[in-house]
Amino acid sequence: MDSYSAPPMGGVSPSPEAMMEQVKTQLAQAYAEEFIETLRGKCFEKCITKPGSSLGGSESSCVSRCVDRYIEATGIISRSLFSKQH
Amino acid sequence: MDPSLANNPELLQFLNQEKERAMVNEMVAKLTSVCWDKCITSSPGSKFSSSETSCLTHCAQRYMDMSMIIMKRFQSQ
Repeated sequence: MDSYSAPPMGGVSPSPEAMMEQVKTQLAQAYAEEFIETLRGKCFEKCITKPGSSLGGSESSCVSRCVDRYIEATGIISRSLFSKQH
Repeated sequence: MDPSLANNPELLQFLNQEKERAMVNEMVAKLTSVCWDKCITSSPGSKFSSSETSCLTHCAQRYMDMSMIIMKRFQSQ
């Protein structure tokens, strides 16, 4: 029984506002987790080409740059899509 | 859940907005993934080269153009 089907102890249902806040928070969390999972995949592929017995310094810096670049790429794509001049 | 919440117009509008936001988010994520693979061929640097930036910009737009072609073609079948 989850917290959405059962009313809280006071016997009063959550207000629409509280529900919306909860949904917004959980969505934000889900988006963030999904993004991080993508980062893992992309950066492992680009930076850890031959896994060794530990992460090298160049591999670590590559990963840092990769994260920054991928975030930047997301912004470039987003702007490209939403300010089209055709 | 209070059954009247299902008819709450504010809540319905909110859910529609979030649904749309989720669709947009998914499209941007998918395009970024595809275009990253196409355009960033070497190890990520401390900034994008101008050719990488143009590639990313063009990639998204060409993908949308392609999508239109596919829809039109599909609908004419």
